[in-house]
Amino acid sequence: MAEMTATQLSAPAHDDHGHMSAEEHNENMKLGMWLYLASEIVIFSMMIVGYVLFRINEPDVVELAHSKLGVGLVTANTFVLLASSFFMVMGLRAMQQGNRQGMLRWIGATALGGAVFLAGQYIEYSELAHLGITLGYDIESQWQTFGMRFYAPTFFHGAHVFVGVLWALEVMRRGAKGRYDQNPIGIEMFGLYWHFVDVVWIMLFTLIYLV
Amino acid sequence: MATIAVPLGGGQSRQEIEAVRRPALSEYLRWSVDHKIIGVQYGVTSLLFFIIGGALAMGIRLELWTPELDFMVSGAAYNSLFTMHGTIMIFLFIIPMWAAYGNFVVPLQLGAKDMAFPWLNAFAFWLIPPAGVVMLLGYFVSPAEAGWTSYPPLSTLFSGDGQTLWALGAHLLGLSSILGSINFIVTILNMRPPEMTIWRMPLLCWAVLATSIIAVMATPFLAGALTLLLLDRMTGTTFFDASGGGDVLLWQNIFWFYSHPAVYIMVLPGMGVLSEVLSIHSRKPVFGYRMVGLSSMAIAIVGFTVWAHHMFTSLQPELRIPFMITTMIIAVPTGIKMFSWLGTIWGGKIRFTSAMLFALGFMSMFVIGGITGVMLAALPFDIHVHDTYFVVSHFHFVLFGGSVFAIYAALYHWFPKITGRMMDETLGRIHFVFTYLGFLITFFPMHIVGMLGMPRRVAVYDPAFTDFNRLISLAAFVLGFSTFIVLYNIARSYFHGPIAGANPWRALTLEWATTSPPPPTNFHDDPIPYEDPYGYGTKAATAYIEAIDMAFDRREAAPSGAD
Ligand code: HEM
Ligand SMILES: [Cu+2]
Repeated sequence: MAEMTATQLSAPAHDDHGHMSAEEHNENMKLGMWLYLASEIVIFSMMIVGYVLFRINEPDVVELAHSKLGVGLVTANTFVLLASSFFMVMGLRAMQQGNRQGMLRWIGATALGGAVFLAGQYIEYSELAHLGITLGYDIESQWQTFGMRFYAPTFFHGAHVFVGVLWALEVMRRGAKGRYDQNPIGIEMFGLYWHFVDVVWIMLFTLIYLV
Repeated sequence: MATIAVPLGGGQSRQEIEAVRRPALSEYLRWSVDHKIIGVQYGVTSLLFFIIGGALAMGIRLELWTPELDFMVSGAAYNSLFTMHGTIMIFLFIIPMWAAYGNFVVPLQLGAKDMAFPWLNAFAFWLIPPAGVVMLLGYFVSPAEAGWTSYPPLSTLFSGDGQTLWALGAHLLGLSSILGSINFIVTILNMRPPEMTIWRMPLLCWAVLATSIIAVMATPFLAGALTLLLLDRMTGTTFFDASGGGDVLLWQNIFWFYSHPAVYIMVLPGMGVLSEVLSIHSRKPVFGYRMVGLSSMAIAIVGFTVWAHHMFTSLQPELRIPFMITTMIIAVPTGIKMFSWLGTIWGGKIRFTSAMLFALGFMSMFVIGGITGVMLAALPFDIHVHDTYFVVSHFHFVLFGGSVFAIYAALYHWFPKITGRMMDETLGRIHFVFTYLGFLITFFPMHIVGMLGMPRRVAVYDPAFTDFNRLISLAAFVLGFSTFIVLYNIARSYFHGPIAGANPWRALTLEWATTSPPPPTNFHDDPIPYEDPYGYGTKAATAYIEAIDMAFDRREAAPSGAD
């Protein structure tokens, strides 16, 4: 065809077919993670609202629980979780500076922090059970529905910590093989999740134990 | 006019292009991360559930042939019949069916090589078959019987293990929908080639974007509610039990906070399909393109403010008027779309293809559903007809007359791209006539019996309604039969349909600027979208379409009229 039309349909492919660049990939991962966390916020807020309404309607029950329970253990636990978030940041920084060993140590500390938190939660649950605070409703109990409104959000959060600990271990396994040497996005993803779990806990701690 | 033509697939020889074959059957049966395979997997799975849900509907109509309980063994069995019918149609047919088209078409329309997260895409699909099985397993214990809305206390205190399986299945489907939607949002926002600006995006992509935003923000409410429901059923909590310090209305509020937005999850993609099909098959630009894209977003947002119109009879009376007002407001962006479609086909060169017929069918039915929606939004009227067949009629006009007609339009429209074969147009038209008339005669009289007072969800009714119900059942059987026409057409065309070529409808959007079916990487080179996805009727548009023809089919340029 000598006479070319002005229509341009395509340009020669400028990247490998089917492969995105690392930056594109990272951008996608981050946006995807944020969207996922947005959907998590919805579920948590439902449970939190369920608790807050109870707190407003039955102040006596909640104050009784506060007086029996104290905030010592849970404060320590909160501290551990906050610290683990800090370890997380340090781990990512270490990897960004090319320090794989440092990253493994810091992420290991993060996982440990999560595990300690879960142990603390377990102790607290046993104390509560001792006081007769159960998940299921018991018409005889002075605690009314405090049990389900307390356990549902805290257990759901604990389950997220548990998943986070597993994820941290997986990050270490992959990191040890050099997976993040070039592109630490995988650590960053875990970081977003872990900070999220942390922030949710701050909310729960404030609403359930402090006010 | 100095740009140099680089025909698509520039480097390819004819042999290379012809070498694009349909994937083997086995590729559909195993884990695949190709969005086109996954799209077909979604589609075929949803179609199977459509057949099951349809068979259950036939059961409902058989039972309602007489005013007594005869076909079903008990009222409870009838309850489970309509419960499973509604649940399957909504959660296992319509919603995943849109994921089918979204998966197959959206990356192609954008000019992307795949979805943003191919692995996650496959994972989201593979949640569906087990979820469906879990739901159906209910039949082996005691199937769910609290309706697709699953209100407590019926769904907590008075139903068997099937209800637990129902909730588990719905949970898995919700997860699948959230993950799939995250994938769509990231794909549409991040995976567009530079030339594909947001205002050049085909309207199906806009619709899928809006739908996915709704799904990501609304579905977690369903997940939360189902979690609490499962806790109530399995661990003795009393979130929804007023006698134990809980709140029955909590479920209604959360459920509808999800499910009203979810009705738009079910219909927005269909509205996107309409814009595509109407424009292409009447050779005219979409009327008010930007407004249509934005109205999808408006619907997504306003959709979150109207949920309690489902609860006019159980809500605090002070809240009724505010919800009546928001509900009427949401008819405005819906109306914008209606006028856009009318403006699009107005004065166009309409081709009455099967796809076009179903698109026109959608327009006529959806407008009725929209009007009855506004009628229901009017509080005094709703108090009268709530929980009657009028409501059943309303939502079938929007869900069957709307979503399902759009699913059919999309099938006839994209089948050539998906399989490389044309569907049989004669069978398509016969299918349309049976479906259209069957649908209209089934569901229109329900408005009347509803207003006369026949309640929904009952197997035994006042004998005065017998004649109406006979008519409805007869028409419903015709409607059920019409499904076999399209199933036969699919099967026949898949094997014997005429070869479609790249661009049988002479369309401008990018999914047509590649072979049918497209190669695994979608495009041989990076495609350049035409400046206006619906810019039909200009010389440049015709030139673009001819360039596609020549690049892929080496067809002689059709005698150029304005395209
Ligand atoms: C013009 C927009 C619409 C308005 C104003 C509207 C209004 C309403 C109202 C007020 C009800 C409650 C009736 C009652 O239970 O007493 C209702 C029910 C329903 N609507 Fe709509 N609607 C609209 C569009 C849609 C669309 C587009 C869909 C789906 C694609 C839909 C699906 C449903 C369903 C499924 C129900 C019944 C739910 C059930 O109780 O099982 N509606 N609609
Ligand atoms: Cu609604």
